[in-house]
Amino acid sequence: MKGAAIAGIGATEFSKDSGRSELRLAAEAALSALADAGLKPSDVDGMVSFTMDTNSEIALARELGVPELSFFSRVNYGGGAACATVQHAAMAVATGAAEVVLCYRAFNERSGHRFGRVSTAAALTVENSWSYPMGLGTPAGTVAMVARRYMHEYGATSEDFGRVAVTMRAHAATNPRAWFHGRPITLAEHQNSRWITEPLHLLDCCQESDGAVALVVTSTSRARDLPRPPVLVRAAAQGSGPDQYVMASYYREDLAALPEMNLVGRQLWRQSGLEPSDVDVAVLYDHFTPYVLIQLEELGFCGRGEARHFLAEQGIGLDGRLPVNPHGGQLGEAYIHGMNGIAEAVRQVRGDSVNQVNGVRHVLVTAGTGVPTSGLVLGV
Amino acid sequence: MTVLPELRVEVTPTFIVSTALATRDFQDVHHDRDRAIARGSKDIFLNILTTTGLVQRFVTDWAGPGALVRGVSIRLGVPCYAYDTLVFSGRAVSTSDGVTTVEVVGRNSMGDHVTGTVRVVLP
Amino acid sequence: MITDEAERIAALGPSPRRPARDAVNPAMINNWTEALGDGNSAYPELAPPAMVQVWTMRGLHPAAEEHDPLAAMSAVLDEAGYTSVVATNCEQTYHRYLRPGEHVSVSSVLDAVVGPKRTALGEGWFVTTRSTWFVGDEPVAEMLFRILKFKPGNKSTASALQPTVSRDTEFFWQGTKLGELRVQRCSACGVVRHPPGPMCPRCNALDPGYVVATGLGEVFSYVVHHHPPVPGRELPYVVALVELSEGVRMLGELVGVPPDEVRVGLPVRVGFRPVGEFVLPVWEAR
Ligand SMILES: [Zn+2]
Repeated sequence: MKGAAIAGIGATEFSKDSGRSELRLAAEAALSALADAGLKPSDVDGMVSFTMDTNSEIALARELGVPELSFFSRVNYGGGAACATVQHAAMAVATGAAEVVLCYRAFNERSGHRFGRVSTAAALTVENSWSYPMGLGTPAGTVAMVARRYMHEYGATSEDFGRVAVTMRAHAATNPRAWFHGRPITLAEHQNSRWITEPLHLLDCCQESDGAVALVVTSTSRARDLPRPPVLVRAAAQGSGPDQYVMASYYREDLAALPEMNLVGRQLWRQSGLEPSDVDVAVLYDHFTPYVLIQLEELGFCGRGEARHFLAEQGIGLDGRLPVNPHGGQLGEAYIHGMNGIAEAVRQVRGDSVNQVNGVRHVLVTAGTGVPTSGLVLGV
Repeated sequence: MTVLPELRVEVTPTFIVSTALATRDFQDVHHDRDRAIARGSKDIFLNILTTTGLVQRFVTDWAGPGALVRGVSIRLGVPCYAYDTLVFSGRAVSTSDGVTTVEVVGRNSMGDHVTGTVRVVLP
Repeated sequence: MITDEAERIAALGPSPRRPARDAVNPAMINNWTEALGDGNSAYPELAPPAMVQVWTMRGLHPAAEEHDPLAAMSAVLDEAGYTSVVATNCEQTYHRYLRPGEHVSVSSVLDAVVGPKRTALGEGWFVTTRSTWFVGDEPVAEMLFRILKFKPGNKSTASALQPTVSRDTEFFWQGTKLGELRVQRCSACGVVRHPPGPMCPRCNALDPGYVVATGLGEVFSYVVHHHPPVPGRELPYVVALVELSEGVRMLGELVGVPPDEVRVGLPVRVGFRPVGEFVLPVWEAR
């Protein structure tokens, strides 16, 4: 992914009730990202968002006063789109289709349409007719099915999942932007939290949030002339695996796995020339704790089924072998469909995060798990 | 533990109708396909008295004419429609006070049509 | 109200003995052995014991029966909306074999009415009766008989999510209505596949057929859903991903097994549950 960089990041506050329209959230985050990059709306000529976003590119362009767009695109599959928005923007920049591309995601996911509820609209697809009518109609339920099999095959326990939640909440506790700022949890609290869908406790599930995040992607050469140090897109990839479904890829041989993330990882290592041991910080998509374990395995940080030992012995805290989600992740900071994680990766490379890890050169970022997904390596 | 020889029964419409009449069961679902379909079935299907009789036959075919059947206990599962094949399998699992207990399963293409036990005194 | 009526009917005790139309006779025994293909040489000098109920069947034009507890209890349940019926258990005990010339009579009593129970078929009540056959005053055979009287598509499932059907998936939902679990099978190369689709991913043929699965399989993974509320379902409930003996996996609610007793590897068989205009496959322990 030659020649593209993230030049600016912006966000609204993260809340449970923004009190404003989703379009206004998008416009606020976009303006803030442009200001961070030292650019104006009139510099923007490209936009990328999620197919799930309710704000069209032209609506956002109207609000910002962006006069012309030569590139606009959407990425499908929920949170799996997050890193791919940057990939598509970088490809547009590399081909000359656009020079300054805004990537954005804005929603009132807590006060408006909540993903954690059973969506009767989602049930109305032929594909979902194999799961929703059978009683499996929530994201937690679909992940729980994989988690149970993972536990069965590798001996992982609910406490292993709990270690992820405890670490994320510890990171969020020292991040003033995080919803759970100042509110760490213990493993016992995790274990005592109520069942959502067994084997998942409440504290295995990320929160629901209102908010928006925007990123500005431009060429490396242009980024070097801007006020912020450029954060290079060292690698960017999408991935969809065999017999792929959205959240319910239950019919392929290995259920306790994420082959689409494995594919993303293989591309990231190849493009960047790096390996897992070169990663200083990982921002792993954490809408549900079990998938953090499986990602560690698919991305090559440990062997298959060994993530529970990696968590217990090496650690994913700020002082661990691999610091994961210093901002607190979606479990701790906010659920903005993975886009807030990319913003944290940018801060870690810039060296100005509130939970800064020392000497960061390379940050791995992943997008939604259980769906066709994407990933990035950002670096100096 | 003895495994009984398998019994295969081709469940033709003729078989369903003739056994229903031989057991004096005149419910339309056992002889009238149109009425059976109107009541939500796929086709006419075996009646319970015949299923009970077949379970007994499966055991006495093996045990011989000198055997005394003391009881037949069955649990009914999926229906057995016309044109299906019903396959009985079973095994003698225990004997106490001279009574042998035989476990029987009758399967068709849809699953277990009948599962149960037959208590029999062997000659 | 159902329980009160059940107590009233049970309190009536055994019904008056109703005599068989005919004495035990070789002609009917021969009709029976011929139809069932039973070559046992002990018949027709002796009657097949499993024929005991045949002697007292009511025939083609049954007279109204005032004292039949099963008919009385069924009427009560029909009235309460439990209009569908399926027999679940039949346990016969034979004290001795009958011989031609003997004349049997039968008496029945209501043994138990249990419910309402959630079942794969719908909410229902299990009705158990006990019958005794006599020759003179000698009991010669007994039977426990249990039925399930149920409400198909009952209230608790009326608002449940229903599948969306396409031309590619229609055969599956037509099958469940007939009590068949249909698994797509490529007519060209024979590969089985679930969920189904229009083109075979192995050979790209556009000729999908199907096989009727045995409906037997094992739990490959499962969840217990506690939260949030799900339309048409009582919480908690179990959803299982089952690996069928045909080699494909399929999701369905696992019914009749307490959540703590579910485990990976549990042997199950398919059942069918009507929901609105559709019938969903569900799993039952076997
Ligand atoms: Zn094929």
